[in-house]
Amino acid sequence: MKRNYDIETLISNFKNKDKRALSRLISIIENHPEKAADIFKNFGNIKHDSYIVGITGSPGVGKSTLTGAISKKLLDEGKSVGIISVDPTSPFSGGAFLGDRVRMTDVSLHPNIFIRSLASRGYRGGISRAVLDITLLYEAFGMDFILIETVGVGQSEFEIYNLAYTIVVVLVPGYGDSIQMQKAGIIEIGDIYDVNKKDLGGDDVAAHVDMMLDDSTFQSGWRPPIVQTNAHTGEGVDELMENIYEHKEHLELSEVLRERKKNRFAYKVRELLYKKIDNVLVSLISQDEINEISTAAIDHKFQIYDAVHDLFSNVKFERKKND
Amino acid sequence: MVDEKIRVLMSKPGIDGHWRGGIVVSRALRDAGMELIFGGFQNVEQCVASAIQEDVDVIGLSIHSGAHFAYTKRLIDLLEEKGVKDQIMILVGGVIPARDFSELKAIGVANVYGPGTFTRDIVDFIKENLKK
Repeated sequence: MKRNYDIETLISNFKNKDKRALSRLISIIENHPEKAADIFKNFGNIKHDSYIVGITGSPGVGKSTLTGAISKKLLDEGKSVGIISVDPTSPFSGGAFLGDRVRMTDVSLHPNIFIRSLASRGYRGGISRAVLDITLLYEAFGMDFILIETVGVGQSEFEIYNLAYTIVVVLVPGYGDSIQMQKAGIIEIGDIYDVNKKDLGGDDVAAHVDMMLDDSTFQSGWRPPIVQTNAHTGEGVDELMENIYEHKEHLELSEVLRERKKNRFAYKVRELLYKKIDNVLVSLISQDEINEISTAAIDHKFQIYDAVHDLFSNVKFERKKND
Repeated sequence: MVDEKIRVLMSKPGIDGHWRGGIVVSRALRDAGMELIFGGFQNVEQCVASAIQEDVDVIGLSIHSGAHFAYTKRLIDLLEEKGVKDQIMILVGGVIPARDFSELKAIGVANVYGPGTFTRDIVDFIKENLKK
């Protein structure tokens, strides 16, 4: 029952717009990140013209339904849409229950959409390691828009900021008071704030966000608008779309878009580097040694700082300069 | 680093409202370390599109309406048409009379699970048979 992973054939099918090939390439990148280099060799001249929107917020605020509603509008306008929806991987079993797609059944048969559910697979920050690479595949596939829906996030998971150009932070009635709005993190990163589940209220949340924004400075000259939607019925989604287009135009005219695009790749470069260093670190200390240090600590010989310090006292990192 | 997970699409073709079985099995597969994509109510076309885009190894159909032959046959035909039939294991579960098991298997279903099934049997079957 197992699969043919011939990358050359997949690439050529991919270039003929075969969704099966796109899907299989995503799997390869997810399962074998080391093969990404081989795959992207074939896409040296990708245009990074797809517009990337990030949709983030706590669990259950309606991100998936909203993502479905946004994509429906885009499809109606004749645009093509690639969706990446991330849900958490269990730290216990390594399994995942991916329940985002089920909110998007209405649009799932449209020829111009591709929806992929991802498990976070231990990656922190509200996304998964493969997300950036998948956006590259969507770009190569020619998607006009890419929507990235994060894991249901808490206060400090905002890696999406590095990957998307317009961030929609989704809130719901009962989110919190004006103190909650002053906290650093997720509430700071919105380019647009959407108070969803309008049928349950939320005017107070919208007012609190507005006051929070009154206390903020906007270096780029963009003051994030606040929208109220009912993603389920589609109410307010037109207004949300208008705001996404306005923000897009703002980024294009102010050339911030170029910065955000660059930021994506800087993020990836750092991540690749961390991964390499991580591999080096793992080779420097064994699980047994970690175990030994931790066991000593609970047996009243708490020396974890010294132990790690000693371990690395003879290790020097140096980048060789080319002559 | 290889980080392969078994991916399963759980789909409820038709609109019989019996969700519990599909949810219980989905949860068991999640807890067995698989990535379970919950499709919910889907017609056969939506199920196949999801299976392709999610690159799943297994499609689980949860059927309690009595229409298991109609749905399963259409699903298999469509998978064949899309050229992915040989790459995806099909499992059917729900209120399926025991007398229908062999005919379902004859048309291409890998296994059938009726009431009283142990979820670990489903997990074991998937893990063992995907290796082949």
